[in-house]
Amino acid sequence: MITFNLNGKKVQGEEGQYILQVAEKYGVNIPTLCHHKALDPAAMCRICTVELFDGRRRRYVTACNYPIWEGMEVFTDTETVHQGRKLIVELLLARCPEVPVIKELADQYGIEEPRFMKEEDDCILCGLCTRMCEKMGNNAISLTGRGVDMKVTTPFEVQSDMCMACGACASVCPTGHISLAKIRESMTTRDTKLIASEYDMGLQGRKPVYVPYAQAVPNTPAIDRDVCIHFKTDGCKVCTAFCGVDAIDHSMQDETIELNVGSIILTPGFQPFDPSSFDNYNYAQHPNVITAMEFERILSASGPTEGHLVRMSDHKEPKKIAWFQCVGSRDMNKCDHSYCSSVCCMYAIKEAVIAKEHAEYDLDCTIFYMDMRTHGKDFERFYNSARDEHGVRFLRSRVHTIDPVPGTEDLEVRYVTEQGDAETETFDMIVLSVGLETSPETIELAGKLGIELTEGNFVKTSSFTPVATSREGIFVSGAFQGPRDIPQAVVDSSAAAASVGEMLSPARNTQTKEKEVVPEINVVGDRPRIGVFVCRCGINIAGVVNVPDVRDYAAALPYVEYVNDNLYSCSQDTQESMADIIKSKNLNRVVVAACTPKTHEPLFQETLINAGLNKYLFEMANIRNQDSWVHKNNPDLATDKAKDLVRMAVSKVALMQPLEEAELNVNQTAMVIGGGISGMTAARSLSGQGYETHLVERDAMLGGQALNLFKTAKGEDVQKALAVLTDDIQQNDKIHVHLNTTLTGVEGFVGNFKTTLSSNGDDQTVEHGIAVIATGAAGLQPDEYNYGKDERILTSLELDRRFMDKDPSLKEMDSAVFIQCVGSRQPDRPYCSRVCCTHSIDNALELKKMNPDMNIYVLYRDIRTYGEREYLYKKAREAGVIFMQYSVEQKPMVELKKGKIIVRTVDHVLGRPVEIEADLVTLASAIVPNREEQLAQFFKVSLNEDGLFVEKHAKLGPSEFATDGVFLCGLAHYPKPIEESIAQGQAAASRAVTLLAQETVHTSGTVAKTNPGICSSCGVCVSVCPYSAPSFTEGGPFAGKAEINSVLCKGCGLCVSSCRSGAIHLQGFDNDQIFSQIFALNEAV
Amino acid sequence: MSDWEPKIVSFLCTWCSYGAADLAGVSRMEYPANIRVVRIPCTGRMSPKFALAALREGADGVWVSG
Amino acid sequence: MLAYIDKIKEISGKLLKDGKVDMVIGFRKGSMPMMNEPCFVREAADVQNLVWDSNCGINLANYLAGRKEKIGIIAKGCDTRNIVTHIVENKIKRDQLTIIGVPCKGMIDRRKVSERFEKEIIEAEEKNGSVIVKSADAEDTLKKEDLLQDNCSICIHRNPVIYDELAADLVEEQKDVDRYADVRKIEAMSAGEKWRYFEDLLAPCIRCYACRNACPLCYCPTCFVDESQPQWVGKTLDPVDSRTFHFLRAYHCAGRCTDCGSCVRACPMGIDVRAFTKKLEKDALDLFGWEAGMSVEERPPLDTFKPDDPEAFIK
Repeated sequence: MITFNLNGKKVQGEEGQYILQVAEKYGVNIPTLCHHKALDPAAMCRICTVELFDGRRRRYVTACNYPIWEGMEVFTDTETVHQGRKLIVELLLARCPEVPVIKELADQYGIEEPRFMKEEDDCILCGLCTRMCEKMGNNAISLTGRGVDMKVTTPFEVQSDMCMACGACASVCPTGHISLAKIRESMTTRDTKLIASEYDMGLQGRKPVYVPYAQAVPNTPAIDRDVCIHFKTDGCKVCTAFCGVDAIDHSMQDETIELNVGSIILTPGFQPFDPSSFDNYNYAQHPNVITAMEFERILSASGPTEGHLVRMSDHKEPKKIAWFQCVGSRDMNKCDHSYCSSVCCMYAIKEAVIAKEHAEYDLDCTIFYMDMRTHGKDFERFYNSARDEHGVRFLRSRVHTIDPVPGTEDLEVRYVTEQGDAETETFDMIVLSVGLETSPETIELAGKLGIELTEGNFVKTSSFTPVATSREGIFVSGAFQGPRDIPQAVVDSSAAAASVGEMLSPARNTQTKEKEVVPEINVVGDRPRIGVFVCRCGINIAGVVNVPDVRDYAAALPYVEYVNDNLYSCSQDTQESMADIIKSKNLNRVVVAACTPKTHEPLFQETLINAGLNKYLFEMANIRNQDSWVHKNNPDLATDKAKDLVRMAVSKVALMQPLEEAELNVNQTAMVIGGGISGMTAARSLSGQGYETHLVERDAMLGGQALNLFKTAKGEDVQKALAVLTDDIQQNDKIHVHLNTTLTGVEGFVGNFKTTLSSNGDDQTVEHGIAVIATGAAGLQPDEYNYGKDERILTSLELDRRFMDKDPSLKEMDSAVFIQCVGSRQPDRPYCSRVCCTHSIDNALELKKMNPDMNIYVLYRDIRTYGEREYLYKKAREAGVIFMQYSVEQKPMVELKKGKIIVRTVDHVLGRPVEIEADLVTLASAIVPNREEQLAQFFKVSLNEDGLFVEKHAKLGPSEFATDGVFLCGLAHYPKPIEESIAQGQAAASRAVTLLAQETVHTSGTVAKTNPGICSSCGVCVSVCPYSAPSFTEGGPFAGKAEINSVLCKGCGLCVSSCRSGAIHLQGFDNDQIFSQIFALNEAV
Repeated sequence: MSDWEPKIVSFLCTWCSYGAADLAGVSRMEYPANIRVVRIPCTGRMSPKFALAALREGADGVWVSG
Repeated sequence: MLAYIDKIKEISGKLLKDGKVDMVIGFRKGSMPMMNEPCFVREAADVQNLVWDSNCGINLANYLAGRKEKIGIIAKGCDTRNIVTHIVENKIKRDQLTIIGVPCKGMIDRRKVSERFEKEIIEAEEKNGSVIVKSADAEDTLKKEDLLQDNCSICIHRNPVIYDELAADLVEEQKDVDRYADVRKIEAMSAGEKWRYFEDLLAPCIRCYACRNACPLCYCPTCFVDESQPQWVGKTLDPVDSRTFHFLRAYHCAGRCTDCGSCVRACPMGIDVRAFTKKLEKDALDLFGWEAGMSVEERPPLDTFKPDDPEAFIK
């Protein structure tokens, strides 16, 4: 270690370091234009000149390449140093009068006009580019010539074969003399394209060292070996110079890791269809024809346009956008994908609505579609509001060609309306709603694993084991199982987890380790002794915020006993030393000023626990994500802000108290309410994973709606499979079936429910830890189309019954009509019942099979055979089933005339009335939920306007409720076919097991507590809490006052701020704690 | 008045806006340094009293987001 | 009015005699003209003290919170709405109450009378829609409709919304009343104008808390202004503290205020405290279609959360 004097202060550096490096470490700024951390110093620009006193005389040396030695005295800030620098800057300004960085320097040194003759150069001959090129292992450019003729160029000034067009020279050029654009212009022998960012769909470039996207987990950069120069030339390694912890190892090799597992779940996902091959859409040629995925990026705040809606060709705001549906779906001619991709209708509507919301002007959005398929929960409502409230235009037409309009960037489209008129329209931008497909790599993987695929290259599964592949022990979920949206993928992944759980249940908890517990020090009543640790985060914080300054500032704050700054506070060794310091300095409160508590609070809390402190005696000041990273051009303001944030954190932490996380046993028994196919599946899965299960059914037998179904969409016999399942349940000694039973009361909460079951007047109380609601739904009994007046007019379920009864009359009929959307998708019941299109088409095909000459008509609004159900639709058309569209304003009429059934409708193509004499009219009637209001009240869950249960999260929590310990599956959630009901039954079981398997639940410390002395019993908290945590105390001195169940409390604080009396406190975010932060604001610098 | 800078106190929900503010950092977006953030567990925790207290302490604006 | 009081006495007497209630809360004559005062009648014989006229503006619901007895209460339209709020907020149980509903045609604002006279009012007598007022040196007959409390003149719930007995036939409700002209006027002001308006409005406030004490909604065992841990509001007459008090009290009444006018009536400085509460009352109506105290089945909108709550205010 070498000690010397810097500006009168003693500083230390390593042998071989240069003055500039040591000065930087101590926060002393020395200007430089030619220095780069990864390159050898060259002292080209001379601006870093400093004054050196060697004991005898003073001289001027360049700080960047002057090595330090013991006892030297360096001055960076003297008048003569400034004079010298000023002259250099003046000379540079004369050479490059228009270069921003030089102009800025000149401004700093008070130079308005150089005294020397001005030139028009923009190169200051710093040599960064040539040194960088050399570093890359290339030497494609060098400084040539001497004296005034010196310049940067290639040998003989011809395009160099050595040059790889890597752009490293441009990345270091301080003046813009070399830029990527110039390289791209002049380079003819090499490809100079940017490295396309995968996340931004190629709409912009990325670096070879990159984090795939901001939210990536782990959020660690990766080096792209295919483009990294080091892997081409063996040079570069510039990144290693910047990594403060030597984390980069270019010699790492791919490893083969062998794992011994009991089961495999495949979730490789899909790839968006690439429409480049559709030359009639001009996607590959025209920048304003983009895919929906690209459009998502344009709408995204983190995308290439930062969420500003512009088109890519000229960055103009589009006035008219069109979406084309079914690109790469439902199409055999161009892409071989005859399936429906299920999700595109919904995402196109979403994009159109968001685009309209983003645009601050009246944006015209048009969606060209074949059938609008909004068959998910609340999707139809969204479709209606997009059309009626947002004014999105929907046009039923498949467009053939997109033609660029010559001389503009616009696009012309010719299409035929439903009425048969040909129209021509111009759009600014066209979005192709591309479908989902399985990638070739995934198909290859399936081949290696030996699992069967469908004709659409999705995994072949049975409706009764929807997530099991053809190979035992291998399961699938997500889009590889078939095109599907997020909620369905989430259901399936939970179902796959349950399937594995059932298989591997005996191995549960065989590989867990016990954790060592450090006894907690009691700090209650002690004066706060706060330790403040300020993180440099390499240069992430220290490069902007003056960390030593913040650290010293913190030291002077009240109750602060210890301060320090760390290079990386989160590193293992820092964590250990932090725990030691807490112990040795007797600290009882800790502030870490670093990144964000959202990612790092648990880590630092762990350190507190290891030091024997309660983890709630901690607070973070976010001086990276919300400070240094967002104010990088304002170091002084960022430092001030960091001080404020530290002061606020210190004043809050002083008031923090140790909080308890109570532990509560989870009753290991489950209850499933509803003995339909999803409820039975849930019960079977729960028992299969080792849990006693009560299965409650209000009817006299198990089976629910499945008892009424003939076949699945895949043609499997429902009754056969149902019998197997029912038998399984009845044989299972872990499942207690309660038939003819209803719930008459539920007490308790997660882990500890006490439910009263009532059966024929007998009451029984059952204790259970979790509940699954699977109460199902029923088929609507229509009150239109003369239903009930003639036995030839029936519902789909009644037709199924006739198939099951092998009704011989069916074969004899000449004509059959199916009417779709009976009771669905209309104002009083706005949702789509999801299953009816497939069901009717299935039944139509069954009739055709019996009697190929039968005339069959399906009267529909939109055919919604989503996913691979589309094949059935195609098959039906091929079999001669006639599909006729009708609109909700003009429903078909069913008349009974002299023993005949006459169906009247209007042909949508010809616009002419049509009359069909039918021997059979099947009404595809809606699925109607049972509106279980009492059950909802019992379990403190809610129903939506349609009477369906409201799940925790529409996308991410479809099989559970916001209320802990209560789960959901089957038709009670939303209409769905058998395979989806079964998957959700397994999913609900899976979600339940995650809770049951913990055996205990821990409450958070950050929960609300009441002070009964000042509670006014007004009941606002009881009413306002979405989690039913507050209730009125029964009995005792505080009877009638509110109390809060800390197990149910999520710590949101809604009750706290709603409490007028101030009787509720939110521990960890209490009033005095938040006030202390607010009061600390006022001292702002 | 020309160099007057407002002091803004923002109360951000830890689940969304606070996370978004973090993400703004991750994305290296830049914004003026006039903001001081108080993290709250949910905007449901926001009390009008906090807004009034902040204004009283000299804040020129209070921003609640969640 | 005479018919009213006879009926009130009759009902009250019977309730007490039959032991249906332990007491009746009503009005008796005060020591000053136009200042009837609330009274608790516990003996059937004492019902003779009860009075009823247009000087019964005090909201009797205020006397119910936390009582354990069986109570008969004489209640105007606004009183009944506050009784409803009390029931919803667990301040009293419905089965404790026998509500003697009194259809109301508005209460007199004594300030509107006294400002017409130089000297102190000695006597005021109500007759057929007029009030004969005597001061030390003058006498005048005034029209009652000119003297109504501001909230009464725009009242659209004059009849009791909940009652067990009625002291008179229901009256016709006022229709086509522009309830929020004053709020709209303030809403239309610029930020600066608003600032001045509220500054002037609150300048006379002496922090006596009469408005709070008169308000049936302010029943907390410890009011936030009286707390010191944390100190929500400073205790001084500093305009900032006064403003904080009024703002927060108004928020506490949001979605619960029935515009009964008790606060204004109680204010010794004549501050129009309703300027705050009415804005929030209007917002509750505009945003949630809500009028406070109309049903014992529903809680105020700010006590509940619904996924489809309006959120147009989020920008």
